[in-house]
Amino acid sequence: MVTRAAHRSGSAYLYYPLILLLLFLIAASMVFSVSIGQVHIPLRQSMNIMLHILSADHIGSLDSVTNDSYFNIIYQIRMPRVLFALLIGMGLSLCGAVMQAIVQNPLADPYIIGISSGASLGATVAILIGFGAAAFLSNFGIAFGAFIGAVLTSAAVLLLSSIGGRATSVKLILSGVVVGAFYSSMSNLVIYFANNAEGVQKVAFWSMGSLAPSSWDKVPILASVVLAGCALFLFQHRILNTMLLGDESAVTLGINLSLYRKIYMVLAALITGTMVAYSGTIGFVGLIVPHICRGLFGADHKRLLPATLLLGGLFLIWADILSRILIPNVDLPIGIITSVIGSPLFIYMIVKKGYNFGG
Amino acid sequence: MELAAKELTVRRGKKEIIKHASVFVKNKQFVGLIGPNGCGKSTLLKSIYKSLTPESGTVYLDNLDVLKSSEKQVSQKLGVVGQFNEMSFDLTVEQMVLLGRTPHKKLLEPDQPNDFHRVDEALRRTRLTDYRKRSYLSLSGGEKQRVILARTIAQQPQLMILDEPTNHLDIRYQFEILSCVKQLGISVLAALHDLELAVMYCDYVYAVKDGDVYAHGKPEEVLTPKIIEALYQIKCQTFINPVTHRLGFAYGL
Repeated sequence: MVTRAAHRSGSAYLYYPLILLLLFLIAASMVFSVSIGQVHIPLRQSMNIMLHILSADHIGSLDSVTNDSYFNIIYQIRMPRVLFALLIGMGLSLCGAVMQAIVQNPLADPYIIGISSGASLGATVAILIGFGAAAFLSNFGIAFGAFIGAVLTSAAVLLLSSIGGRATSVKLILSGVVVGAFYSSMSNLVIYFANNAEGVQKVAFWSMGSLAPSSWDKVPILASVVLAGCALFLFQHRILNTMLLGDESAVTLGINLSLYRKIYMVLAALITGTMVAYSGTIGFVGLIVPHICRGLFGADHKRLLPATLLLGGLFLIWADILSRILIPNVDLPIGIITSVIGSPLFIYMIVKKGYNFGG
Repeated sequence: MELAAKELTVRRGKKEIIKHASVFVKNKQFVGLIGPNGCGKSTLLKSIYKSLTPESGTVYLDNLDVLKSSEKQVSQKLGVVGQFNEMSFDLTVEQMVLLGRTPHKKLLEPDQPNDFHRVDEALRRTRLTDYRKRSYLSLSGGEKQRVILARTIAQQPQLMILDEPTNHLDIRYQFEILSCVKQLGISVLAALHDLELAVMYCDYVYAVKDGDVYAHGKPEEVLTPKIIEALYQIKCQTFINPVTHRLGFAYGL
C-alpha cells in the first residue's frame, strides 16, 4: 500500500524547514529593525527595552537605559513601524498571489484592477480639496479618502467587467486598465486646478508609499483586516487551484469561477484598500513575492500562500530597514526601495532558465 | 447512469447554433457524436455540462435536473475531458490529478488517504505513475491529455463527456485514451472526428449536422456512404476491413 507520505515530493521535505526558517528570520529581522535607525541606541539597551515591553514589565530592566527618549523611540516609533512592515508585506503578497489566480495572469499585482489610481484620487482629493466641514485630522482624512477611492474603483471595475455576462479574466484586466486611466486623469485634473504647491508635493510623497505614518492607534485595524484576510484565503487553496485551470475546467469540477472571482476580488480590494490608505502604494511586493515562492514551492496554493505571506513580510521588513539606513538621516519612501530591489530581481527571474511560473 | 438531453436549443446572438437536438446515453453505453467542424458538437456538449446555458430544453442525469442543479452536484456525477487545456501557471501531474477530487470535497476538508488512492488509481489507469512529479507544462500534447483524463477518472464520474479527446494525438495515444475510457465501464458521450475510431469504440452514434441530429443508430446503421456524404460533403465508400473485420472507409472527391 502506498502511504500518504510517499506522495510528497522531495521539495516537500524542505518545505517545512524553510517555513520555520522564514519565521525565525522574520523574528530576528524585527528585533534588528527595532534596534537600528537614525537615533543610535545601543543594542543592549534596545533589547532590554523590547524585553521589558513584550513581557509586560516582568523581565528586562530599564535601569541601564541611558536616555529617557530611547524608550519612546522604540515603543512609539519603531515597534509599530516594523509591525506595519510585516503586516503590509504579508497583505500585499497575499493579494498579489490571489489576484494572479483570479485573472489567471502572472503579471497581476494587488493594484491590477485600478486600486492604486483609485486610492491616489481619493488621497489627492483629501489632500488638495479636503472633506470640507467634516474635517478629520489631516492624516485620517487621507487614509479615509484613499480607502474610499480604492473601494469605489474596484466596485467600478467589477461592474464594468460583469456587463454582458461572465466576468472573464481578460475583461477584468481591461476594465482595470480603463478605470485606472480614468481615475489617474481625474487626479491630474484635481492637481492641475488645485494651485497648491505644498499639497501637490504631499500628494507626490504619498503616492511613493511610506511606512512613516505608522503608529500604534492604526495597528488594530490594519492587523485585523490583514490577518483575517490571510486566515480566510489560506483555506481557499482548493478553489484558487481550480482557478488556474480556467473557467471551462473549473465548471466541470463543480466550481463557479465567475462567482468566486467576484468574492475574492471584493475581499482583496478591501485588504489592499486598507493597506493603501495607511501606507500609499508600495509597488512590486505583490508582484514579485508570489513569483519567488512559486519558483521555490510550485503553484499549489496550499503551500504557496503560507510561504508567500511570510516571505512578503520579511521582504518588506528589510525594505523598510534599507529605507531608513541607506542614506544617513533620510527616511526614503519605501516604495522606491521595493522597486529598486524588485525590478532587477524580477529581471533575473525572467532571464534565468527554467522559470515557468511555478512547477 | 443515464443521460437524457431533450430538445436543446442554443442561440448565440440571433443565430440558432443548436436546434432542438436530443441525445440519450443509456447506462454504460459508449455513445459517439460525429459531424463536420462547426456543426455544433462542442456547443451541444457544453450545454449538457453546464458550460453554456441552453435557451430551452432539459438535461437529466438519471433523476438529477442538470440545468437546475449546482455545478458541484453535477460534477460529482459528470466528468469532462475538454479539447484543449493550457494554463499560465504550472502544477505537477499529481496536483493536477488531485484537483479531480474537488467536487467531492467540502469547503475546508483536507485531502484524505482515500483521495490519494483515487489519484494513484487514476495515474495507474492512464499509465502516468512515473510522471507523478513532472511539471504539467513540460509534457507533450498526448501526455497532457492523459493527465486531464486521469483527473477526470479521479473525479469518479458515472458519466464521462469527451470533446474530441484525441485531437492532435498520434495513433497510439488515440487508442490508449479511448481504450482507457472504455475500460472504465461507465456511460460515455464522446465527440469524435475519426469514423474508424467511432466504429471501434461506440455502441451508438449520433450524426450532427447544422446544429441538429441528422441520424442516429448503431455505427453500422449510421455510417453509410449516403449519410457520410451528407455530413461531410465528401464521397465515401465503406467496406469490411479484411484485417480488423470492422467497417472501413475510403474517401475521395
